Amino acid sequence: MDTAKKIELLEDMFDMESGELDVNAKLSELDEWDSMAKLSLIVLMDDECGKQLTGDDIKTFETVQDIINFMG
Amino acid sequence: MAKVNCNSVKIRGIATAVPTKVVEVTSFYDQFGQEVVDNFIGMTGVKSFHITPEEQTASDLCYVAARELLKSQHVDPQEIGILIFVSQTPDYRLPATACVLQHRLNLPKNCMAFDINLGCSGWVYGISVVSSLLESTDMGKALLLFGDTSVKTASPMDRSSIMLFGEAGSATLIEKKESAESGIFGEYQTDGSHFKTIIIPSGAFRNRNGSHERVMWGDENIRSDYDGYMNGTDTFTFTISEIPRQIKKFLQERDETPENYDALLLHQANLFILKQISKKTKFPMDKIPISLDRYGNTSGTSIPLTICDAYGGKGNGKMRILADGFGVGLSWGVLSFQLDTQGVLPPILTDESFDDGGVSHE
Repeated sequence: MDTAKKIELLEDMFDMESGELDVNAKLSELDEWDSMAKLSLIVLMDDECGKQLTGDDIKTFETVQDIINFMG
Repeated sequence: MAKVNCNSVKIRGIATAVPTKVVEVTSFYDQFGQEVVDNFIGMTGVKSFHITPEEQTASDLCYVAARELLKSQHVDPQEIGILIFVSQTPDYRLPATACVLQHRLNLPKNCMAFDINLGCSGWVYGISVVSSLLESTDMGKALLLFGDTSVKTASPMDRSSIMLFGEAGSATLIEKKESAESGIFGEYQTDGSHFKTIIIPSGAFRNRNGSHERVMWGDENIRSDYDGYMNGTDTFTFTISEIPRQIKKFLQERDETPENYDALLLHQANLFILKQISKKTKFPMDKIPISLDRYGNTSGTSIPLTICDAYGGKGNGKMRILADGFGVGLSWGVLSFQLDTQGVLPPILTDESFDDGGVSHE
């Protein structure tokens, strides 16, 4: 999966417009990064990337780029 | 997967008892803040739940459910040859609560009675244990009792648990059948490498000197080592991957589809999880009854409670049911059976409790 597709999936998950998501944004400063988004990300990883995302994995994410890297 | 096929037994009836006191989740506005509580309700779907008074235990709820079930089915307690009580909140450290219930329910001495320690998967596990025992003994009728008072295991300052769990107890009557209708089929799995995902660390014999002090944990909830802990994120990850996989594989092996079933009864973990399972297994939500909005997550009672809530006294006739229970262990199982809903009672409200008279120190 290319980076553009990954960003599209994440924007969709965050309910954002196309181009709205800054890959360098700190997750701690992102309003959309709440507990519901974390669960949605687990679903996205499972559905789209075939990866099991754990709570410990999520704790290591600091920026949007970290999520994109995890997506493989 | 561990498969259990029992061709010569059937579920004859199910009853569930819940305590009368209702807690509205919005009553936690002052404690946790309106936004946190509203988000919680939106995600979990839990709006209210029932809790026991101090003196009422899981076995008291199961006792009432069993008594009313036997009465409604005109079954003499002396006919019951097997009693299994599945719970994680027993009356005593010992003896097994099933022994006390054998006495209270006036079951015969010629009766096997024992406890099983399982939570959310406990009802689907218990059904196969009881069914297998019935098939391999000369006993004709058995009671499977499942009950938990999970709110009593939660720290009152733990928003991940105290707004989620409800309390209930159930009784399921299983008997050898003579007609040609379908039997009971199950498949079971365990992943003990995740035993810490849902745990009460102290209070038994492993961590005998755990701290009773309630302190802030990494998830920003306040609890002690004697309170229940659930890693919600890891539980969610496990559930949305393993449960749809188990259901799809079970159907595939039996050459079935969701069309073969009238309903999918899921452990009422939370609404978001149920919707994910629906999407992945292609069981439409209108085939997945919901009771967690009014009863919360009632541990392993949630499947029989949802059956009683959806079909008790409503004349749905005979139904083909697929059920899946999953959680603490981690432990999960899927069960296929036919149910004549005539034997299903609507939920019973009760505050009855048993006075054991205390234990003499003489």
